[in-house]
Amino acid sequence: MKIVQNAANDTLTLGLDGELDASSSVLLDNELTKPEILNYRKVMIDCQRLNYISSAGLGVFISHLQRFQDAGVKLVFFNMQEKVHNVFEILGLDSLMTIVPSEQEATAI
Amino acid sequence: MIAFREKLLPAALPLAVLSWLALLVCMLLRAHQPAAAQWGTPPDWLILATQAAFAAGVFVYERSRPDRLRGAEFVPLLRQLLLGPGLLATAVVGLHLAGHWLLPETIGNQPILLNTLYTINLGLFVYFLARTCYTWRSLVHFRAQPSTRREWEWFELLLGATLLFRLVQGRELHWPLLPVMAVLAGLGVYLSAHQQWVAYLNRRQKWEVVFLQAAILGGMAVCLVYFLRLQREPSLAGPLAQHAFLLLTGFFAAFYAVMGLLVTLFNLPTAGVFEQKREEILSMQRLAQLIQKGQSEQEVYNLLFDSSVQTVEADAAWLDLADDNPTPLLEYQVDADTRQGICQLLSDYNIGHIEYLNNDLPHSAGFRALGLGYCSLIVMPLRSSKHHYGTLYLLKRFRQGFDRENLSLLQIFTSQTVLSIENLRLLEDSLQNERVKEELKIASLVQEGLIPKTLPADSWFEIRWHSLPAREVGGDFYDFLQLSSSRIAIIIGDVSGKGTTAAFHVAQMKGIFHSLMLLDRPEKGQPLQPSKFMAMANQALSHCLERSSFITASFYIIDYKERGFAFARAGHCHTLYYNAITEETFYFQTEGLGLGIIRDASYEKRIKNMYYDYNPGDVMVMYTDGIVEARNAEDEEYGEARLRQLLARSHYLEAEDIKQAIINDLEQFSRGLPPFDDQTLLIIKFKNAQPMA
Repeated sequence: MKIVQNAANDTLTLGLDGELDASSSVLLDNELTKPEILNYRKVMIDCQRLNYISSAGLGVFISHLQRFQDAGVKLVFFNMQEKVHNVFEILGLDSLMTIVPSEQEATAI
Repeated sequence: MIAFREKLLPAALPLAVLSWLALLVCMLLRAHQPAAAQWGTPPDWLILATQAAFAAGVFVYERSRPDRLRGAEFVPLLRQLLLGPGLLATAVVGLHLAGHWLLPETIGNQPILLNTLYTINLGLFVYFLARTCYTWRSLVHFRAQPSTRREWEWFELLLGATLLFRLVQGRELHWPLLPVMAVLAGLGVYLSAHQQWVAYLNRRQKWEVVFLQAAILGGMAVCLVYFLRLQREPSLAGPLAQHAFLLLTGFFAAFYAVMGLLVTLFNLPTAGVFEQKREEILSMQRLAQLIQKGQSEQEVYNLLFDSSVQTVEADAAWLDLADDNPTPLLEYQVDADTRQGICQLLSDYNIGHIEYLNNDLPHSAGFRALGLGYCSLIVMPLRSSKHHYGTLYLLKRFRQGFDRENLSLLQIFTSQTVLSIENLRLLEDSLQNERVKEELKIASLVQEGLIPKTLPADSWFEIRWHSLPAREVGGDFYDFLQLSSSRIAIIIGDVSGKGTTAAFHVAQMKGIFHSLMLLDRPEKGQPLQPSKFMAMANQALSHCLERSSFITASFYIIDYKERGFAFARAGHCHTLYYNAITEETFYFQTEGLGLGIIRDASYEKRIKNMYYDYNPGDVMVMYTDGIVEARNAEDEEYGEARLRQLLARSHYLEAEDIKQAIINDLEQFSRGLPPFDDQTLLIIKFKNAQPMA
């Protein structure tokens, strides 16, 4: 699992590369826990290279969802593979989180 | 030749006895004139021959006796020699000598008495000499090379030959024989150098040996004085005994005793070192034994400490363990100021935990400033490659108190100790591991107890299940509750994460399920709605589920009277269904958010109720993600599609057979790969029959 960070203006883009399982979700949690992340208006998660997400990985996003909402930070997922999208959908997260097909749409939000 | 010698050996003792009796008779005959006149006077050569035969008999007999030395019991060997023949010969000879001096008239005037006593004394002296020589042989042979044994045999042979000297010569020694005797004496001196046995004595034994040797020498001296005195005695009837042989054996016996005495005396100052080495070996043995016994750590440290202090003879010592405890584990004659001063200084020098030897403390300014009463210090850490267990400090009052041997010995002690401590800890760890395993087994049993064992038995539907946790305890759960004769509640779910934490939440979920079922009151027109159940479960869980955890569940209430069921899905896998009328196989596509994801009242809006009328022959397949996300060696997922196709092929089977078909297909797919996640499967097949009364 690799996390590529890209900050531009008020937007932070995190590119996830690999499998988000119990061990690698700790890395992601460390990134999202940083207080300065709340200074951004929008955090975009690039899921193009995300092949797999476990319940622990989902748990990381779930645990930060409320915190981001309270701070007014938008969390946007894009480029999600169908397999991963299916996992979000089954759990009902697609109605709770913003998931868009492409980067352009994500930037437009 | 050897066999011949063996046959001769038993004859040695009778020969000695008979020849001595013959000698006695000859001497008496010569001393008593009337008897001699009657029986004839025995010639000199006969007396000399009987003397020679007697000496030869005694020596050969002593030679053939088994070695009197048992193991390394030197002191008892010498004591036997002194208290047996030594004391006897000395006492009898001494008495005769004393009588001779004190009452010269009485004894001197009685030739018969004098000659009898002389013959007895000669016999005792020869026996004493023989015993001494062969005791010395035991000592010479102790741990000796074969070459030494051969040298000894030559010495014996040549000595035996000197017995003949006196027979062939007259009253005085022949000059040509002197070099031969000198060579033999030299050989005796050379053999006297074999005193290795002294090294095996401890200090006490060395003192004993010194006194024993001195006493033996004293006995010989008495005998020597006696025979010199009798040489000038006119009443002595026969010629004197074997000059060369007795002289040489006497010389050897005395010289070996003197050498032994000197060697022992010179070894006395180093006896302490020997004792110390012995103590070191014993300590090492004790340490090694303790390792095998597997005693407590405290005992191992005690043993190390005692052994170290004892063997290096430290004046003060202490042992610190590598924890923050300021008081040492063990201490010996040391006060807190000395300890703290030294530790502080060593850590200032940054050598707190390395091996350190200083034999001249007052020479270094730091230690001098401490004003210690000690001049030598060893610091010995107890460490393995990974761990530092503690440090041993030893002090001595004088300079150059410790040597390299002390240091290497302490290294052996400490490494033995570390080994032993590590062994104990490994043992402890494996026990702990065993205990954890045992507890997990219990947890697994408890969880198994939570899983319903009795089927809700009814003729209008069939239900079968299969559950396989990936570890000892799992995060999957399912449960049934018969609400009334025509209604049954079913729940299946999955807690995020695996193992023990998940297992706790499983137990919670089960509690929540059974509590909330009490709210179902259809008789009052208030049947429990599945969405309401989920909302209340979510609320209950929001207080006891950590923020990053969530639970997915599907909840069903099947009503036989209505021939339908209501259900809600909270983020759980879609329910697979086969409709027997339309002959279609499909997944219920309902919306619903997992439990614990949002924890306020808005959750209820995200859960939908769904109602469905079933037909006899319909099949419902409920499962957890461990089934559809099962992977094979190519890292492919089993998937919803494959499961649906399988049901489409097998819907006509009984519930048990459908279940078996799915399990078989899953196994075929994963080809023996162990399940990565918990797997749970529930199959319900609806029937046409009436419910049982």
